[in-house]
Formats: sequence, structure tokens, C-alpha cells
Amino acid sequence: MDELELLKAKWQEREQEFPAVSYKDIYKMILKKSSSIVKWIFVISIAEILFWIVLGLLTPETNKALIQNIGLQSILNVIYIFHYVIIAVFLVLFYLNWKNIQVTDTVKTLMRNILKTRKTVKYFVIYNVAGTALVLIFVNLYFYANKEELYSLISKGNEGYAALPPENFFPVLFVSFLVVGIVLIAFILVLYRIIYGILLKRLKYNYTELEKMEE
Amino acid sequence: MNKELEHSFVTQLEENQNIVHKICRLYTNDSDAHNDLFQEITIQLWRAFPKFRGDSKFSTWMYRVALNTAITLYRKSKRRVKTQDFEGVSFKISAEAYDDTVEEQLKLMYSAVKGLNDVDKALVFLYLEDKNYREISETLGISEVNARVKMNRIKGKLRKILNP
Repeated sequence: MDELELLKAKWQEREQEFPAVSYKDIYKMILKKSSSIVKWIFVISIAEILFWIVLGLLTPETNKALIQNIGLQSILNVIYIFHYVIIAVFLVLFYLNWKNIQVTDTVKTLMRNILKTRKTVKYFVIYNVAGTALVLIFVNLYFYANKEELYSLISKGNEGYAALPPENFFPVLFVSFLVVGIVLIAFILVLYRIIYGILLKRLKYNYTELEKMEE
Repeated sequence: MNKELEHSFVTQLEENQNIVHKICRLYTNDSDAHNDLFQEITIQLWRAFPKFRGDSKFSTWMYRVALNTAITLYRKSKRRVKTQDFEGVSFKISAEAYDDTVEEQLKLMYSAVKGLNDVDKALVFLYLEDKNYREISETLGISEVNARVKMNRIKGKLRKILNP
């Protein structure tokens, strides 16, 4: 490889010329904030985790009364406790992965640790999407099994629903649940893909390159 | 952070700044991006500095942090127009008289290296810096044998680019 050896020889022979950065300018730089990808991943991950925790806490008052009256409260309480335990586990995992990211690691280890951190958040999102879907399906099945009671409870407080005869009421209710559920989940998945893609496309590509070297 | 640490860091970086510049030149295409990356590497080096024990040379320690920043942590700004300014970034040869073909060869070689992917570029950079395969493998996190094999493949790739 003559040309590369030539370049190497010249590379060694004399220093390349660059405009020197002064002591003062370097000093100023160390006071500035980093704008690295790791910072963005951290911010986005925390935002995602908070989003799902807050979403879990938001249940409209009318729904609460309905759930209580129809007898779902105790089952949902068990689900909530389970849910918070899982959140705690994810938070610990996220924190541990986070602490592992060190710029002084080898290139490969650094990349692997960043991807691992992201993966934890990804699983957290998947858990939430799947969990939400399962709970929705369960609640709807329960509603379906107790539809007479549900109809009397809902139509009591809402004239719009009361105007619908029972045989139309249930198709409308369940179809609208289904549509809203699917749209919401699709929206979350698309949003997630976009964020994930923008931040990690290059990193993933480079990691694959390093992996290929070890094959 | 105490002043002594700051002073020690800034002095050492000032002395060794050419390593960072060389990486910036390889990984960016214009002077704005070059300065951006230089700053980000400086910040990352400074953050990691308290853990630098001095059991290796400051410059050796710099390679890893600087390459990690260039390859993994640095986010290229999307707004910037991508220009392949080969004249501007080409390998500078001092006033000493070289014949034109040598200069031309160097320029072509440099731009071929610049066109490699991030990881291959890191390998070639360390090779040009005369790091041995043990050091290369320890910086990238791959085995020494694989670093050697990969370097040979890259040489082949470069040969193909230059002599199609």
C-alpha cells in the first residue's frame, strides 16, 4: 500500500498545521455545556419515563366512580401495585445502565452501554403500551360481561348515552374504545421510532461495523 | 473544581491539542463543525480528567476520549450543508519542494481515508499515528488479531478507491 505508507510517513514527519487554540480559549470551553448525544438520550429517556408514569396517574373522576360502582376497584388496585413495582425495577435498571456510560471506555463498550440504556427505555415503553392494551382489553371484556349494569350506570349520568337504545349503545362504545386504543398505540410507536431513529442511526451503524470486525 | 486541576488540564491539552485537531479534521467537513467538535471533545476530556491517573501518558488517554466523542457522542448538526472540501482539508505539506505527483497522491489518499466510515477511519487514524495493534485494539475494544485483519481489508479498500 504505497500511498498509505507515504501518507503515514508524511503524517509522522511533520505536524500538520492548525490554528492553535489558546490557553484562555480552552479554559472557556471547559466551562461550556456538553451537547452530546448522551445528554439528549438522557433527557428523552427521562421524558418518556415521566410521560408513562404521569399517564398512569391520570384517570378521569367519572371513570373512577364507574370503576368503583361496577366492582373493578380491587382488581385494578392489584394491577396498580404490580405496575409501580415494575416502574421501580425499570428506574433502577435505567440508573445502573446510565452509570456505566463512560467516555473513557473502549469505543465498543461505550457504544454497547449507550445502546443498552436505550434498550431499557425501549422495553419500558413496550411494557407500557402492551400493559395499557391488556388492561383495556380486560376492562372491556369485564364491561361486556356486565353490560346491563354498565348501561344503567353510564346512562344515569349522561343524557347523550341515555338517548341510545341498549342494542346500539354497546357497538358504539366498544368500537370507539377500539379505535381510540389503536390510534393511540400507533401514534406512540411512530413517535418512538422517529426519536429512536434520529438519535441512534449512526451509533447503531457504527456498532454493527465493530461487531462485524469480530466475526 | 479546584484551580490546580483546571490549570493542569488546560496546560496539557494546549500542548497536545494537535491530536484533537487531527481527529476533528478527519471527522468534519468545514471549520464550524471542526470547532464544534473540538469544543465537545474538550468538554468530554475535562469531565473525564478527574479520573485520569497519569498511569498512561496524557496523549494516549486523549485518543480514546477524543475518538469516542467524534464517533459516538458528537451530534452532527443537520442544518449544516455537507461539503466535501478536499482542498481545504487536504494534507498540508510545508513549503519544502515536493514534486506534484507526490502531493497529488497524498491528497487523494487523504480524501479516500476521509471517505471511509467512522469506525474504519478511527482504525486508519491510529495506524497513521503509528499506534501498534495492541493499542489500536485497546482503544476500539476489538481483538488485536481482528484489528490487524480489518486494517488489511481497509488497505485493500483504499487501494481500490485509488486505482479503480
